[in-house]
Amino acid sequence: MRMFNFAKRNFKELIRDPLSLIFEIALPIFLLFIFQQIKIPGDTYKLENFTPGIIVFGFSFITLFTATLVAKDRSSSLLIRLGTSPMRAYDFILGYIFSLLPIVLLQDVLFFVVACLLGLKITFNIILTILISLVISVLFIALGILIGSLVSEKGAGGVGSVVVQLVCFTSGMYFSKDLIGKGFAVVCDVLPFEGSLNLIKGSLNHNYALISVNDIVVFTLYTVAVLIAAIFVFQKKMLNANK
Amino acid sequence: MVAIEIKDLTKKYKDKTAVNGLNLNIEQGELFALLGTNGAGKTTTIKMLSGLILPTMGSIKIQGMDMTKDTFRIKSILNVSPQETAIAPNLTVKENLDFMAGVYQIKDKDRKITELVKQFKLEDVLNKRVKTLSGGWQRKVSIAISLINDPQILFLDEPTLGLDVISRKELWQVIQGLKGKITVILTTHYMEEAESLSNRIGIMANGNLIAVDTVQELIKKTKAKSFEDAFVNIVTGGKLA
Repeated sequence: MRMFNFAKRNFKELIRDPLSLIFEIALPIFLLFIFQQIKIPGDTYKLENFTPGIIVFGFSFITLFTATLVAKDRSSSLLIRLGTSPMRAYDFILGYIFSLLPIVLLQDVLFFVVACLLGLKITFNIILTILISLVISVLFIALGILIGSLVSEKGAGGVGSVVVQLVCFTSGMYFSKDLIGKGFAVVCDVLPFEGSLNLIKGSLNHNYALISVNDIVVFTLYTVAVLIAAIFVFQKKMLNANK
Repeated sequence: MVAIEIKDLTKKYKDKTAVNGLNLNIEQGELFALLGTNGAGKTTTIKMLSGLILPTMGSIKIQGMDMTKDTFRIKSILNVSPQETAIAPNLTVKENLDFMAGVYQIKDKDRKITELVKQFKLEDVLNKRVKTLSGGWQRKVSIAISLINDPQILFLDEPTLGLDVISRKELWQVIQGLKGKITVILTTHYMEEAESLSNRIGIMANGNLIAVDTVQELIKKTKAKSFEDAFVNIVTGGKLA
């Protein structure tokens, strides 16, 4: 299968980039560890709430490095070569998605190992959360493909960093949206990051009251829309490679 | 037998016409060199012939198959070595060959990889990551990769650009060896390369194919002393002859 062959190549490219591993895995683990040492009062920084935040934070770097990989492939002429091969658009898109899923899995496992060492209760919910987070990661990967298809390698780093900041500020991983004001709360509601976090938090804590209908609707709409946009833009760019 | 049949091929970008009504037949096993100054439309032509970009007008038939209807069948019998080295930088040479063999779903890929390694003398760099290799080696690997699927049609876009004299001569030998077996369309800025390798030459200027013939005939028609003079004469309309 061409998509798995492409995924294998992408995976090798990603894991051989030490910077990507530092930001995708080491930095979130460091934050998880350090915030537990500070003992900040309130529920947000309790392990059962902050670990899901760290997972979503890790996903934002998945977006950044996916965008960089796609943009780099476009600039290096590799995609020109592959564009003349019998690979189809879905081989490319699924190839990028499948290459990132093992990294997402690795992130999840390592984050939970550290969280458990720090005191998180070991429950079956962790397995369920990992499975749900794999689904949620598709949104972040597709967002990376879309950004990488639209901008240059340098631009991908910049736009990817904006996504990282948006995740930090609007997901609720560090503070509640209500602390800032109504306008900010609306922004958080229309972006998919708070919903992503609530889906993970709800499943880890086996507390589905944490997940609102708005969370599910916004997350689903964004995932479908971003995925379709990524396929469309990627294909369009491939067929206009010299533009 | 005609391998490539091009009729009224045109590519327009807003106000600019990159390729203008190109008509050309290329025979099976022929090595056809496409020459022209920068921006003449050579690369755009190759991108259309290889199915990478869609023409604005006109038709392309490869081995009798229509490019718009049989795109994926056509793509499995051709290959391209783009102008810039098109390889995965963090993968080793062997991994790159293996990856591209997977793209074309080559059944006996180990045999094919071994054959290419021998042909391009890649033994010493086989397990090195491509990004650590010199530009010349990267180009060699890029061209080796373009032969992974035993293409019937091969597009070489400035294949020897940036290579030293020895590497260039070695590559010429490889390209010479392909003559008669597969149809090769080569673009180059090196006149001696086109002269020494090709059966026929097409010269493009401002998106138009302004001359097609053998080296000898082009020299004869322009009454030039060398092929380079003939080329300059044709492209400048005799102003710089």
